[in-house]
Amino acid sequence: MAPTYTPTDAYPTSTSHIQRETEELLLKHLPLPRNDDTKALYLELHKTKHMQWLVRNLAQGFPARYVSQDASQPWLMFWTLQAFSILGVALDPGNKQRAIDTILTWQHPDGGFGGGPGQAAHLLPTYAAVCALAIAGRPGERGGWDQIDRAKMSQFFISLKQPDGSFLVARHAEVDMRGIYCLLAVATLLDLMTPELVDGTAEFVRSCQTYEGGFASASQPYFGEDGALLKSPKPPLGEAHGGYTFCALASWVLLQPMSDNKLDHINETNLLRWLVQMQGVEIELGGFKGRTNKLVDGCYSWWVGGAFALLEAIHGHHSSSSHDEEKHEDGDAGWVDVDESLFNREALQEYILLAGQHPAGGLRDKPPKSADAYHTLYCLAGLSAAQHRVFPSEHKSKELKSGWKGSDNSTRKKVFTEALCWQEDEAGPVFVGGKANRVNASHPLFNLTVTHSVAIMRYFYGQES
Amino acid sequence: MSLVDRPFYSARPEWKDVEPLEQYENINPLAPILYTDEYKDATNYFRGVVRDGEKSERVLELTEHIIRLNPAHYSAWQYRYETLIALNSPLATELQLMDEIAVKHLKTYQVWHHRRLLLIQLRDPNPELKFIAQSLKADAKNYHTWSYRQWLLAYFNNDDLWSGELDFVDHMVNEDVRNNSAWHHRFFVVFQSGIRDSEKDRERVIKRELIYVKQSISLVPNNASAWNYLRGILDHNKLPYLTVQVFLEAYTLDTPPATGDIVDLENPPPSKEAQLPCPAAIELLADVHELQGAEGVGKAIDLWKSLRDIYDTIRKRYWDHRIKGASHREGV
Ligand SMILES: [Zn+2]
Repeated sequence: MAPTYTPTDAYPTSTSHIQRETEELLLKHLPLPRNDDTKALYLELHKTKHMQWLVRNLAQGFPARYVSQDASQPWLMFWTLQAFSILGVALDPGNKQRAIDTILTWQHPDGGFGGGPGQAAHLLPTYAAVCALAIAGRPGERGGWDQIDRAKMSQFFISLKQPDGSFLVARHAEVDMRGIYCLLAVATLLDLMTPELVDGTAEFVRSCQTYEGGFASASQPYFGEDGALLKSPKPPLGEAHGGYTFCALASWVLLQPMSDNKLDHINETNLLRWLVQMQGVEIELGGFKGRTNKLVDGCYSWWVGGAFALLEAIHGHHSSSSHDEEKHEDGDAGWVDVDESLFNREALQEYILLAGQHPAGGLRDKPPKSADAYHTLYCLAGLSAAQHRVFPSEHKSKELKSGWKGSDNSTRKKVFTEALCWQEDEAGPVFVGGKANRVNASHPLFNLTVTHSVAIMRYFYGQES
Repeated sequence: MSLVDRPFYSARPEWKDVEPLEQYENINPLAPILYTDEYKDATNYFRGVVRDGEKSERVLELTEHIIRLNPAHYSAWQYRYETLIALNSPLATELQLMDEIAVKHLKTYQVWHHRRLLLIQLRDPNPELKFIAQSLKADAKNYHTWSYRQWLLAYFNNDDLWSGELDFVDHMVNEDVRNNSAWHHRFFVVFQSGIRDSEKDRERVIKRELIYVKQSISLVPNNASAWNYLRGILDHNKLPYLTVQVFLEAYTLDTPPATGDIVDLENPPPSKEAQLPCPAAIELLADVHELQGAEGVGKAIDLWKSLRDIYDTIRKRYWDHRIKGASHREGV
């Protein structure tokens, strides 16, 4: 049966117009007839083509239209390097060194990284640069890791702190959930987490959840006559959005080891409902959208598709297998088990494979758009999230705790173990289009491979074996 | 302003005293951007100026040039702002310039944030509402534009500013009833940003909002934005879901029920052209039943099964999860 168009109730508006146009376009990317053997052909991940596309950008550079990304050079590097990692490709030592040398030119003398040499420090490129160094760098001279000025980076972070627990993304700049996530991810990777740094931050994140269940870019603080921050109102600015929701949820998880008593909860029921509602229906090929009544877009494969794994972390650790449910029976009322797949993994993979791949290499938002570095990574990372189930493992957590060198009850130990106890469920991978389409798993909190996350954290926490 | 025939800074005598700073001096960068000569020239001089700490009129010209070439250049914005403040420049003039630049680059964070910085200094928010409304005509779901409007209202928070907001949002919802940004804005105005004097009678306000969203659903039942708004009203005001059961039921049927002449404002029926049943209504009705405890769970499960097997198959696993969760709790 051919998939049906989204109902319009005979009441067209600009939203339904553009939705219908998109559905017609996507329909053309559905192999016909369905269930044909030829479907396998359409469902091939063109690894070689994508690799060639990435190599071209790396070696020859990005074409002039990427001038709009001049303040995002660390991102271009991270997107490219992490796309390689997900495809299972490592750089040769010569290019690794070039990557390290390039990344270090973006470090600001007063701490943090900027979008390029001589640019102001900013939380977003700081995350991208540090993650790129996690992939390409190493300890020692010219290795990149020891050249990160962690003391100044901490000062930079503190200088951005706001009374409501949030952070500006840069001096004189805006407060934005992406910046909060970037700061917390870097602070976790580099052992910079302190209670002072993140005081009030969890409460800020919580205040950004909207009535729909997803999270907004920020919330607006109100202050009393005496200048004190009011607990309410704290309205979210902007509607629930896939990118901010990922960042908020990941922030929430990264903040868990810093809070002893969980104060106010986020509304997990509404969050889960919103996340599943973001998956497009059959005619949208099961891709994800980023907001209610907007179009599906390949990058939300990661921002929304990747957020499901994070939900598991809120509900404590799981035993080694997803099929072992005894563990959760005494969990919160209303929440029996976060199943291994609350979204449609197969459908998401189909969207990425059928609509996300550009015929000339690289991946994209949707046809007929061209490929770009951002969508290439987040489509591949989304594919990875749809293939693999990575979960916080009780077993792994115990192992890390018993191997910990240093003071026993420290927050550092908690941050370290909770960040690294994620493990792939070997029973659960699903490869639409066949095993040849397999890509590497990505760490749900950092979007680095688990191997890269472990290596850089072991180094900075002094936990090398 | 034409940028076409502008000579490079390196060819302009009045810039001779600035030593341009190349981006990459001693390394061969990996993954470089292949810039145009114009961009390279301007940013070389920008780096030079930042290195020297110069804050002058010509820095305003230079940063404007860079912003026009790449509005996402946040360092140029940051340095421009600091220069404006250092020079005590007339910020109203800057705001005028921004009117023009914003329209061209609606999707850029910095364009909107710079406006915020100016408004904080200028403290004249009321004319902004019109500018924002105008911008939304070009891009009715622009995230930055909406959050800027919400910031403006909340930050300045004067009654005059708020007074037309319900009418405005009603207009935006009427333009496109599926515009979720507009629905979110309505929620922001009515429920989340504090309560204005005219809205003190909360019972009346809640009733008004319920009627508003139900009317909207009756006109266009398959509209996730409206259903989420309805759920939002119920959750935020801790109203039992049961209160909407009668309203919902007509939307869970295969065809609109025959309606008499009685107009029931509380329970408007689906329009004649509604495509029924409406999965969002089935979902909410299942929630209503689930909350009734043991005897309701059976009914809820039947509804979830209909979503899983027929009306919303893409979310099969989520509906299974709901079935499993409810059965588990109730021992069904
Ligand atoms: Zn996208």
